[in-house]
Amino acid sequence: MSDNVIDNLIDKKKSNGFRFSRIMTIAIREFRHTVLTKGFIFGAILFPLVMFVVIGVMPFLLSNDQVPVRGTIVVADSDGSVARAIETAFARFQTKKETSIGSNTAAISDALEKSQRGDVAALDALSDITATVEVTVRRISVDDDLAGIRDQVQSGELLALVEIPAKLLESDPPPDADISLLVPSNSPAKTTALFARIARQATVVARVERTGTDLAKATALVREPQAQTARLTSTGTKAKENLELRFLIPGGFMMLMWIAAFTSANQLLTTTIEEKSSKVIEVLLSATSPLELLAGKILGQGFVSLLMLSTYGVAGIAGLAFLTMLDIVPLSSLILFFIWFLLAYFMVASIMAAVGSAVSDLREAQSLVQPAMIVMMIPLFLWLPISENPTGWLATVTSFVPPIGPFVMVLRTTGAVEPIPLWQISLALAVNGFSTIALVWIASRVFRIGVLMQGKPPTPMELLRWARAR
Amino acid sequence: MNQIITNSTNEPAVILRSVAKRFGAVQAVRELDLEVQRGALVGLLGPNGAGKSTAIRMIMSLIRQDSGELRVLGGDALDAKDRIGYLPEERGLYRRMRVGEFLIYLGRLKGLPRQGLSSRVEGWLERIELPGVFRSRCQELSKGMQQKVQFIGAVLHEPDLIVLDEPFSGLDPVNARILISTVQDLHRQGRTIFLSTHQMAQAEQLCERVVLINRGEKILDSTTREVTQRFSPRAVEIEPVAGIHSTRSALEAIPGIESVKATEDGRTAVLLVNERTDPHAVMSLALAAVPCRRIEIARVSLDDVFVRLVTEHGGHARQPVRGAA
Repeated sequence: MSDNVIDNLIDKKKSNGFRFSRIMTIAIREFRHTVLTKGFIFGAILFPLVMFVVIGVMPFLLSNDQVPVRGTIVVADSDGSVARAIETAFARFQTKKETSIGSNTAAISDALEKSQRGDVAALDALSDITATVEVTVRRISVDDDLAGIRDQVQSGELLALVEIPAKLLESDPPPDADISLLVPSNSPAKTTALFARIARQATVVARVERTGTDLAKATALVREPQAQTARLTSTGTKAKENLELRFLIPGGFMMLMWIAAFTSANQLLTTTIEEKSSKVIEVLLSATSPLELLAGKILGQGFVSLLMLSTYGVAGIAGLAFLTMLDIVPLSSLILFFIWFLLAYFMVASIMAAVGSAVSDLREAQSLVQPAMIVMMIPLFLWLPISENPTGWLATVTSFVPPIGPFVMVLRTTGAVEPIPLWQISLALAVNGFSTIALVWIASRVFRIGVLMQGKPPTPMELLRWARAR
Repeated sequence: MNQIITNSTNEPAVILRSVAKRFGAVQAVRELDLEVQRGALVGLLGPNGAGKSTAIRMIMSLIRQDSGELRVLGGDALDAKDRIGYLPEERGLYRRMRVGEFLIYLGRLKGLPRQGLSSRVEGWLERIELPGVFRSRCQELSKGMQQKVQFIGAVLHEPDLIVLDEPFSGLDPVNARILISTVQDLHRQGRTIFLSTHQMAQAEQLCERVVLINRGEKILDSTTREVTQRFSPRAVEIEPVAGIHSTRSALEAIPGIESVKATEDGRTAVLLVNERTDPHAVMSLALAAVPCRRIEIARVSLDDVFVRLVTEHGGHARQPVRGAA
């Protein structure tokens, strides 16, 4: 596109300046017509909130999922030792089924799982389980006719048939020897899992007893102790290590910022293209200058972004308060998060507005947005390495690289065990703040030309030329 | 609606001096001189691609001229957006927005106070015969109705200068008449109206002055009356009671008549008058010579002038034909 054409599309003189009322009028319309749509209410607000609620409530729903287990299981083993161990396990349910912890089949499985990892106490916890488990164990020999038993299992008369090969009870059992557990086709998965675990555990108990070893003592001997990790910071204080929170909290904040910024910036791209393609842009430009229009649109979508941030943020903070973990996100981190968010939003929004003004439809926009999107995906890839070492060289360097700097700084400030050096925060603020201003300025230069351009989409080089044009 | 307050300055509302503009290889507008006096109703005429919309966009400061001087309401259009109403050729609405909301939005952008704006919009919708669409979504309206909504958007804030680019194109005769009537009302209130059209009949009906451009060049700038007088064919149309065949010799004998051209059905004829003779005198003599059902001075339409001038200047840069004024 020739410079001549570009010049033609530039306003002859500078306007008599911004009129804030116009900008606010545009911003309010942009906000209302984004927020008050079914797509936004369901997609950006309700759906994520419902997901939050479902994820929060699901464990409670599952914990109340009582599965009554009543009937007979048949255990075929060589000497009856496994059958006795299984009978003992089920007897615990029958004698103490109305006790304190309100557990269920899922909890039983959990206790058995723990016992397999060497937690002997977990086996005892089985006796505290209150799920309705009334199982009679019938022992048969492995030489008996099992065909009739299988028919009974198939018809549902029996809960299960457990076959224990004799080899499994040897002191050095072959690795390819397995327990055979047959259940009816309609047996609940949790019940089946319970039977399987009890059978496996009972086999181990029987095997150990054959050697004359005290199982409880042996388990206690091989149990691995827990390690209480703490980080010794440069100030000499001990910061308790919590691996899950150390990764999840920064990741959560960064994702929250990323989603809020990109949803609104993408909306900015879409509405700008719509205004161009529906030709309403010329009507608007007869009433306002391109820069007022750009400012109003960015501001309006910024309000949308803040609404999303508030919704998710309040939900997240409520969740932390519910878990009495509010102390892991200090107020200073929240304030810094807000500043980083503003910088990130204005950078991303500027890029999207410039692209939206330069193209005529979304398909054309893709070729220009893709390079920007690749850059903006970098913070997602950096999440784990930066959370692992928030004060390392990678984290430090990328803090000063716009437009990913604000995202990196959020990862660092919410994830670091010890404070980020003040000079790094200050420098990151200065570099990213200056970059934000520069990007907004470049976007405004492109926007004033792009909104009146028709025809083929510009190349990135042409966009740069528009930005340089006086 | 209030009368506009006349600006103390006598400077024309729109001034273009030697304005030129080029898009790549195409010279869209060349050396265009134009003045639109305050309170005037001026039509910018020209065939498709003549440069009308380009000139209007330059006037609106939506695009910049390559050279020449351009002033609107004493300065730059950017500085007077609230005093200008603009209906672009390429119509655009927010399709999902409600009509009332859209017009209130435009009114707010034009600096109108929120208070009373809703009733003002309702009033305009009634005036332009679009009652009951205030809460309708723009996409639910017909094309003609959308165009009328956009027209309201251009005049809602009672601007001093109203610029309308092809305001009647695509409208049915009934709706076109409504808009023409509204434009005439606005003109009577003293507002300056500058409109482009290629529909000569409407320009002739509306405009007190017309500017004709072709291929970016002005080829006519004159009052409508002067145009019709100047391009009048100097002819008298007559329908004798006895028909042309039996009266032809009597008509040819009238002094000052160059020729008598009968129509195919032989009922009427056009008497071409020479340059030294007044057509009105010929009309009196003809009435005395033959009894007739109808006799009148033949009139030239703007359409005829348009076709003639555009044909004459087709594709070539010529010196503009200036009106007597």
